[in-house]
Amino acid sequence: MSKVYFSTWKDEQINNIGKAEDSWDESAYNLPAQYDEHSSSKAFIGWDGVALFDKDIDVVKLATEYAHQYQEYSEACGRCAPGRWGGRILYDLMDKIARGEGTVADMDHLKEVSRSMQLTSKCEIGKTVPNPLLDLMEHFEDTFLECINEQKASKHYHEDVEYIAKITAPCMDACPAHVDIPAYIEGVRDQTFEDSLKATRQTMPLAHTCGRVCPHPCEDECSRVNLDSPISIMELKRIGADYESDHGIGFIHPGKRGKKAKSIGKKVAIVGSGPAGLTTAYYLALDGVDVDVFEELPVLGGEVTVGVPEYRMPWSKYSQDIEAVKDLGVNFHLNTKVSVDMMRKFEEDYDATMIASGTRISKKVRCENEREEVQGYWGAIDFLDRVNLYEKFDIPLNQAQKKEYDIDADFVDLTGKTVACVGGGFTSMDVVRCSIRAGATRVIMLYRRDEKTIIRNTTYEEYHEAVEEGVEFIFHSAVAEMKDENDVLKSLIIDKFELVPDPNGGRAQLVKIEGASEEIAVDYLIPAVSQSADLDFVPSEWELDMTSWATIKTNGVDYMTSRKGIFASGDCEYGPMTIVNAVGQAKRGASVMTRYLKTGEITLSDDEIMEDHLRKMKVYDKNKKITGWLQGVPRQQSEVLDVNIRKFNNDEVNFGFTQEQAISEAERCMRCYYIAMVAK
Amino acid sequence: MINFKINGIDYTANEGESILDCARRHNVYIPTMCYMPKTTANASCRMCSVEVEGQDGFILSCNTPVLEGINVISDSESLYTERQNIMKLYNVNHPLQCGVCDKSGECDLQNKTLDFGLDEQSFAVRDLKRKKKKWGVHTYDPALCIMCEKCTAVCNQVIGAEALYIKPGGYQSEIDINMTRCIECGECIDVCPVGAMASTEFKYTTNAWELEKVPSSCSHCSSACNLYYESKFDGISSYVNDTKIYRVTDDEHFGTLCGAGRFGFDYANKAQKDEKSFENAVEAFKKAKNVYFTSYITNEETYILTKLQEKLGFNLVNNEAKEMQDFMEAFASTAGEQFANATLDSVKKSDYIISLGSSLATDNPMVKFAISKAVTHKKAYVTNIHPIEDESIKNILNEYVKCEVGSEEAILAMLAETFVEDKSSQKTFFDDLDIGYLSGESNVNESELENMKRFCARKKRKTLILGSDVIGHKNAKNIAKIAGYIQKSGAFEVMIVPSVTNSLGVSLIAKLDEAQDGYSVGYNVETDFTLSAKGTADLDMPALNQQEGTFVNIDSCLSVLNVGSSYDGYVLNDIACAFGIETKNTVDYTSALPFNNISFDDLEDDFNEDGTTQRAFRLESKTNTQNANLDSVNDIAEYNGAVIYLKDSIDQFSEFTADCKQIKEKKVELVASTSFATAAKAKNGDIVRFEIGGVVFTRKLRVDKKMKGTIAQNPAFDQRSKLSGYRFAQINLEVIDG
Repeated sequence: MSKVYFSTWKDEQINNIGKAEDSWDESAYNLPAQYDEHSSSKAFIGWDGVALFDKDIDVVKLATEYAHQYQEYSEACGRCAPGRWGGRILYDLMDKIARGEGTVADMDHLKEVSRSMQLTSKCEIGKTVPNPLLDLMEHFEDTFLECINEQKASKHYHEDVEYIAKITAPCMDACPAHVDIPAYIEGVRDQTFEDSLKATRQTMPLAHTCGRVCPHPCEDECSRVNLDSPISIMELKRIGADYESDHGIGFIHPGKRGKKAKSIGKKVAIVGSGPAGLTTAYYLALDGVDVDVFEELPVLGGEVTVGVPEYRMPWSKYSQDIEAVKDLGVNFHLNTKVSVDMMRKFEEDYDATMIASGTRISKKVRCENEREEVQGYWGAIDFLDRVNLYEKFDIPLNQAQKKEYDIDADFVDLTGKTVACVGGGFTSMDVVRCSIRAGATRVIMLYRRDEKTIIRNTTYEEYHEAVEEGVEFIFHSAVAEMKDENDVLKSLIIDKFELVPDPNGGRAQLVKIEGASEEIAVDYLIPAVSQSADLDFVPSEWELDMTSWATIKTNGVDYMTSRKGIFASGDCEYGPMTIVNAVGQAKRGASVMTRYLKTGEITLSDDEIMEDHLRKMKVYDKNKKITGWLQGVPRQQSEVLDVNIRKFNNDEVNFGFTQEQAISEAERCMRCYYIAMVAK
Repeated sequence: MINFKINGIDYTANEGESILDCARRHNVYIPTMCYMPKTTANASCRMCSVEVEGQDGFILSCNTPVLEGINVISDSESLYTERQNIMKLYNVNHPLQCGVCDKSGECDLQNKTLDFGLDEQSFAVRDLKRKKKKWGVHTYDPALCIMCEKCTAVCNQVIGAEALYIKPGGYQSEIDINMTRCIECGECIDVCPVGAMASTEFKYTTNAWELEKVPSSCSHCSSACNLYYESKFDGISSYVNDTKIYRVTDDEHFGTLCGAGRFGFDYANKAQKDEKSFENAVEAFKKAKNVYFTSYITNEETYILTKLQEKLGFNLVNNEAKEMQDFMEAFASTAGEQFANATLDSVKKSDYIISLGSSLATDNPMVKFAISKAVTHKKAYVTNIHPIEDESIKNILNEYVKCEVGSEEAILAMLAETFVEDKSSQKTFFDDLDIGYLSGESNVNESELENMKRFCARKKRKTLILGSDVIGHKNAKNIAKIAGYIQKSGAFEVMIVPSVTNSLGVSLIAKLDEAQDGYSVGYNVETDFTLSAKGTADLDMPALNQQEGTFVNIDSCLSVLNVGSSYDGYVLNDIACAFGIETKNTVDYTSALPFNNISFDDLEDDFNEDGTTQRAFRLESKTNTQNANLDSVNDIAEYNGAVIYLKDSIDQFSEFTADCKQIKEKKVELVASTSFATAAKAKNGDIVRFEIGGVVFTRKLRVDKKMKGTIAQNPAFDQRSKLSGYRFAQINLEVIDG
């Protein structure tokens, strides 16, 4: 909250004109009055109004500059008649007034053109650019008329003021990787699939992957939610990606050149080849940095490879994303577990290091008799490793493992077995659905909370597909005790809980129901409650700051650790989270690293500063009324593999959209691009 | 069916149909500047906004599907005002050069500006310097461009070239091109609503309204596309009643042409009647043992030749058409019907396509465009099986399967084995198939077939395209039988691409013979006495754009030819008349053709409002009750040493396209792989000579390092009339100028 001189942001009407600065009202919104730690803003102007922080601001010039931005941005502009010509008229006439050559008729034209643009433009950008301009013309009419009547330039017209603009959209803002979603959807709609993929890869190299297994937080903040149902944003990402892999047209990289830049003579080491490691490598390589990635496992890709099952994320598709990284000349070192000594050496041999080692230790469920040596107690990470290494790479169980898990076959064969999994997140869903495919007779998911919460924590589709496949969900339950005979798991004591509302209106509490506990015979208990980071390879003398969750601490903005030149991103920084979160962090980290390699300074670009401001303000507005779109055009649903077939194999469950579906879905997108601008 | 209202009147829409499409289908007018039914909506002009009762704001009709129960208001005062405002914007700084603009008189901007009553422009903006571009056959003037995106949409979605693209950036936005991808089809010129995309050659030659539009069919390949010859009286010529073709256009909304169709129109033969030559011709026919002709001929003239054959007893020879005839006969013997059942339209709707034996980039552009459309609109999985990989079509292929030259029969047998479910009717054939042998000889391995089968799962419409490589194949008969069997089994719809424009028509009409020694007459074939439209013959004949008549095209439909360019000389019918086979006009024979009873003047040639064509005189595919057995596949020819493939350059088909000014091929070269050059002891730049099927070619050899195998590609269009048979040949090559 900050004091403002004037604000029409989101319909607020704050007018402190003529008042002393210390009696100014505060805005109700998180406006970027402080631009960064070194400088403050004079004004913020955007799609939903304008806020002035400095009474000396030249509003006529501000309006002119905002109109000008519309001519600069290539993402949306010049592709519809009202936007292309109307936008130019706005700028021309505004500038004419600002330089002291305007007429009253120009004001009228501005209003007329503004109205046409608001009504008929193709994208929200064209519909909303006139909004703050009209506000300024209304509330500062005298200032405008002064320029016109006296035929003089506006007060700071000839001075240099820094204007920083950024294009955004509610979905882009909500996406942790800030993918230019409307652009890739436009590529699908226009059937320029290379352009679609190019748009995705600007900030998201793993297009095949996040077109399949992303929990799509963007869809919760899609403006179409306000009208009917959100665009199927995630599935549309897959269209451009699959075009690349289905047609063998080589790799499509972002940028004008679409390939690796000339080497800048700097080297970076990356620990881990999961989403965060791959993303860091990708953007560093695009900027001409030489990259070495070290991977402990015999395969690349981290948890998405060994954690996410084939039926959800086929290796043939994920490997295409990995190959795209390789295509930029990144060196990968498999079967290389990074040690403390290696880390020390990295610091000498490389110009910077990114730690992206993930969280690979399964946490305990915290029950009685929870002992690792009990046969049948099997960590989720290890369980999924074994399943996926066999399914995707034909790597069989070795003798020791067979003995440990009590399995005769070369692969995880659960025929005739009962499996209980404790969890509620994506990992636990993967465990239970893999158990079904491994032939288990009975598969139980034990979850502390209810159905609604499990859907929110995963996805609607994921939960329902699991139910269809025969997974038993026991809600409001927890394991109280593991019962074994001679260190062989026999059964579990399950406690039941109920949700008791807080009479004081606080959060409802889970209370154990006495006498409702039951004993269930099981062969395996697979804890999938959460994971923690294994950071033993980090030299202790570095004394890296850690979070209370035992992950590496950064400021969450530039992703440098407390030690200069050592960065961290992904789950080992944030704790177990989504792929897209890891990608977003790593993308930012790579960008900061590149500048660090070139200048030795840790800085953010203006674009990144604006990105963070906008996220704080939140671009999506759940109260925004949508007009100009027909309500009720149905969201497309892709076909999935029949349950009686998919239970017995590992084929990809989701077939993806047919082309007609994809185009229809893309046509639902309202292209809610907005321009935000700060005057410094 | 969805029930809804427009302006209070009840209509029904199809599932997913847009408001605009449905309105148009029912003749309700909604103005547009950027919409074309043949592509998905560009949504750039915003003119087609409508109101929907009970919903706020204007809704775009071009990309919004009809929903049950809505009431659309297609016109209102506020809609009119906003549409008018859009037209005002379009006119901002639009150069006032209508007086010299090519588009003037047929310009959408002119039309709608007047339509919306705009006679003055009250505001302007500071203009930008915009540079005109010359891009081969077309020029682009960004100052005239209204950024409707029609050109980029057709280039990408219809042609599949992906050459034109949008360079965005507010008012500066314009169209740009990736010239290496442009195939110079000129489709962008055709769809441009203003004068921004213009034909380089046509520019400034005439006013649009002076041209007479004659609907006709393209004569260059078997798609025989609808086109309009736009011609006018050429006053300065000494020729009587001379009309000259100025340009060729197609129906902007529903039609498509390739570069040959659009720019290869100046091949008319401006001949006069020379009585002496005519008498010589009649004498030549009298003594002819053989009469040679090509399939660049109308059905009616083919019919006249058969009449003359009956009367005079000569051998009527057209080896290429004979191959087609034999092929179709064998095909029918297992297909249960006369024709292949796929059409260009059904290919566009297919989601799984296998092409065998075709040079997709060059053989028949419409087949390629149809595949491209299937890829963009249906996510079709496309496999191309061919001995030579073609980089230029990578974007429309999912899989290229390299096979050995000569192994097409084996491959088709394996495809039948892979895809036909119920094989009981040809049990012996399948029992005898030695897949290991076939796979070894063809170099198409079982995993490739399994892959094809895997991607076929869940596909709803499957098409098998057979190109002219197989029609001239040594074992063409069995290939045809297997193809017919595949069609009958329902595993695929089958398309057979005829080698020459009217191969199919000729094969249905003529009784074709083997040539014998003796005096010969040739119609468009050089021999003892030659009648030809090339202008160098013993007797001049009209070119195909100077004639009325019909073709049977790739869809087994009748296409209609009308006269685009005038002709004053003798025609084949005059010779028939000289022998007492009398009728006034050649097209009087249309109704006598052995496959229809319709007279020429009853053949319409247009589109309906919704794009359905009225030219669909699809010939009835007669039932064939034969149930021939497939022959066992065992003798697979091997092609060793230096092998040449006859493959034309884009837009080149025949001696007639060869000399057309706008598409004339500057470098007719033998393009060879490195190992071909080594095997033939030739090097880059050598002039070489070789013989294929009795035809001698002298070419400059160019080595293409990217080409694989011991193979070279030789354009053959300039000797097309003499060629038939398999398109691959083992040759001896002689370096005549190293």
